[in-house]
Amino acid sequence: MNRLNKLFASKNNNLLSIYFTAGYPALNTTVDIAEALEKSGADFLEIGFPYSDPVADGPTIQHSSEVALENGMSLKVLFEELTELRSRVSIPILLMGYFNPIAQYGIERFCKKAAEVGVDGIIVPDLPIYEYENMYSSYFIDNGLSNIFLVTPQTSEERIRKIDELSNSFIYLLSSSTITGYNLKLSDSVEDYYKRITAMKLKNPTVIGFGITDSSSFAKACNYANGAIIGSRFVKLLGEDGYMDKIDGFIKGIRP
Amino acid sequence: MKIKVCGLKHPENIEAVAALQPDYVGFIFYDKTPRYAAGLSADALQAIPASIRKTGVFVNESAENIDKLIAEYGFNAIQLHGDESPAFCAAFKGRVTVIKAFGLNEDFDFEQLKDYANNVDLFLFDTKTKIYGGSGKTFDWTILDQYKLDVPFFLSGGIGPENIAEVKNITHPQFYGVDLNSRFEIEPGLKNIEKLKDAFNIVKNKIQQMKYGVNEQGYYGDFGGAYIPEMLYPNVEELRQQYLNILNDEGFKAEFDDLLKNYVGRPSPLYHAKRYSEKYGANIFFKREDLNHTGSHKINNAIGQILLAKRLGKKRIIAETGAGQHGVATATVCALMGIECVVYMGEIDMARQAPNVSRMKMLGAKVIPATSGSKTLKDATNEALRDWIGNPVDTHYIIGSVVGPYPYPDMVARFQSIISAETKKQLVEYTGSELPQYVLACVGGGSNAMGMFYHFLDDESVKLVAVEAAGKGVNSGESAATTALGNEGVLHGSRTILMQTEDGQVVEPYSISAGLDYPGIGPQHAHLFKSHRGEYVSITDDEALQAGLLCCQLEGIIPAIETAHALAQLEKMKFEANDNVVICISGRGDKDLDTYIKYFNY
Ligand SMILES: Cc1ncc(COP(=O)(O)O)c(C=O)c1O
Repeated sequence: MNRLNKLFASKNNNLLSIYFTAGYPALNTTVDIAEALEKSGADFLEIGFPYSDPVADGPTIQHSSEVALENGMSLKVLFEELTELRSRVSIPILLMGYFNPIAQYGIERFCKKAAEVGVDGIIVPDLPIYEYENMYSSYFIDNGLSNIFLVTPQTSEERIRKIDELSNSFIYLLSSSTITGYNLKLSDSVEDYYKRITAMKLKNPTVIGFGITDSSSFAKACNYANGAIIGSRFVKLLGEDGYMDKIDGFIKGIRP
Repeated sequence: MKIKVCGLKHPENIEAVAALQPDYVGFIFYDKTPRYAAGLSADALQAIPASIRKTGVFVNESAENIDKLIAEYGFNAIQLHGDESPAFCAAFKGRVTVIKAFGLNEDFDFEQLKDYANNVDLFLFDTKTKIYGGSGKTFDWTILDQYKLDVPFFLSGGIGPENIAEVKNITHPQFYGVDLNSRFEIEPGLKNIEKLKDAFNIVKNKIQQMKYGVNEQGYYGDFGGAYIPEMLYPNVEELRQQYLNILNDEGFKAEFDDLLKNYVGRPSPLYHAKRYSEKYGANIFFKREDLNHTGSHKINNAIGQILLAKRLGKKRIIAETGAGQHGVATATVCALMGIECVVYMGEIDMARQAPNVSRMKMLGAKVIPATSGSKTLKDATNEALRDWIGNPVDTHYIIGSVVGPYPYPDMVARFQSIISAETKKQLVEYTGSELPQYVLACVGGGSNAMGMFYHFLDDESVKLVAVEAAGKGVNSGESAATTALGNEGVLHGSRTILMQTEDGQVVEPYSISAGLDYPGIGPQHAHLFKSHRGEYVSITDDEALQAGLLCCQLEGIIPAIETAHALAQLEKMKFEANDNVVICISGRGDKDLDTYIKYFNY
């Protein structure tokens, strides 16, 4: 059981997760930001590693990735920064990013290194189920890492069942088919989709992401899932002056 | 879906059909049909593998005779086409698979099937006619909705090459398979193996395996696949499931061929370039894609994909473009079909290919600048993918080259393969052989090259030469020579060779030609490169421009700067006097006049 499993076993609603891009706004901030988020009450974190061509991301995360790359962030640098992760942060940590940087680093080496610095799970939006299952799953499993899959309103029931079977911590529900950074609109069809998922009684908990920006969208999402993830809105905050001092207020504002 | 091929009677033909591995084969023992199998020796059925069920087909035959024939031919199934009663069927059930056939029309009373339900294994629904047996005509398949029993059924009657793809849309829970007969024949009782093969591929959704072609998982050797975020999965999966059905549909083929002929102006000429031949000491042929409507090969793919999009019911088209040629081709076909068109183009490319931006706008397309990243083709592709993520249901993305997630590389290659299909026919006229010694083409993403190579891939005597853009020199830091500078990774949804840093960040390429200024190549090219089936070389800006000017002055043809890269490669090759060399003139140079003028000071 990794930290993610323990978290979901002990707490199954209103879980708040935050995404941020490593290397943004500057190098050597990753663990500081993670520590501040834990202190403010975030339940788990996704640390993004930047890629030059982030097709699933909107302008905010694209920008943070560009800046991070200019700052010299890479997987190698990130793993160096994360060597002090577990002496300062105890909540579950996921790494999130695109497949190509992982492929260049070496998938097996990546999984080993991630486990070594105390990472609990990985989210690779463009790693397909087929390739994961047939080529790479053993590296994840051998290193005790959870692989997180995304589900959208268009994902078929059959495929959701398959994802449920391959998952062992939680499933990431997208509020709609969208890139990151757009607001959640809780239309009837989105509500139907969440209800449909709930009715499927999946074995894994679910967390809603993409488009969660404030306390009201967070609360709405938590009606249908075990928790929600905030990304772009938090990354915007990191672009502001004095962002370290604003983190606590931000988190308390989301989940008073 | 199961396949039954019925009405066989010639031993060799039986063997050829069996080699296609249908699920059932049928032999008709009814003397009023030209497909009557009387006199067929039992030996002819010996060679049929046990996995194929041998079926005797009868019309009001006596039970003794049927028993006799079952024993003689070793039938595993019988199909009863007359007025046989439920009790008659019951007498055979358990010994052989019993199929009871009924002719359907609008007035068919499905109630009568109830008595048969427990006494047969399968039904077969044919078109109702006065005579017994198959009519070769189809009926309105929607009446199948009235059938509610739980006995599976074969569908028969008038299924032919032109409607076989439609059969796949039948979603009736008891639909078991298709019965193929008179529409796949050379003469009654003699099956057309080629037509059957195509139909089997459609039904089984199989890809005809070519040595250098794609496999069922979308891979070419180590390359290909569909590395896409889940948000794109439904769109890409819909395409994957439908593209072969649609491309193989006779109606689709007819419309595609008609537009290529009458709108694009195909076949494009294969021109024997005499002054080039003299200069290079070989027979040099130009495949004139520059003469296509809109001025390049890109229109072939755009026509194919717009027809596909229409069949998928899409209401909106998006595309990416670098040089603007693909954007213009897409805007053109959207105007032709009256469909909304949005083209993403890097901000930098919009400035250097301004005339094409105006052309797209005149054609009614909306051109959206890609302002992210390096603001060129790869970023335009990213923006198009982002648009598609946000518009998963009503939008089709017309990718402009043999790149992107499977099935795009294969689909675009098939649309462009018309280039080599025509070349083979045209070359015979000049040389008496369809095979040249060399085929050359430039490679951006690789669509004109793949179209030019496609029908020569399995003819290993034909040397395939792919020309990439070296920009200011392979080692200058300003280059787009992907195979020389790149290594394996994932770009725009497929595993391929791309230019990247050691951290896996995509490197911005450079070429004077916007159409070759792409950091990757299609996965099939990566496979041809790695397997050494193709030779991948590169040409600098200077060499290309000189070659472009030479082509103007020797042959009176102003080539696109992309194409000029392929022409420049001729300078570096050594030919035998009798060598036949085909070079793909992928586009005309009108769009590049500014660049030529600046370079040569005209
Ligand atoms: C005339 C011409 N040739 C070649 C290309 C390169 O594309 P591909 O490699 O897909 O044929 C382009 C692209 O814009 C083009 O316009």
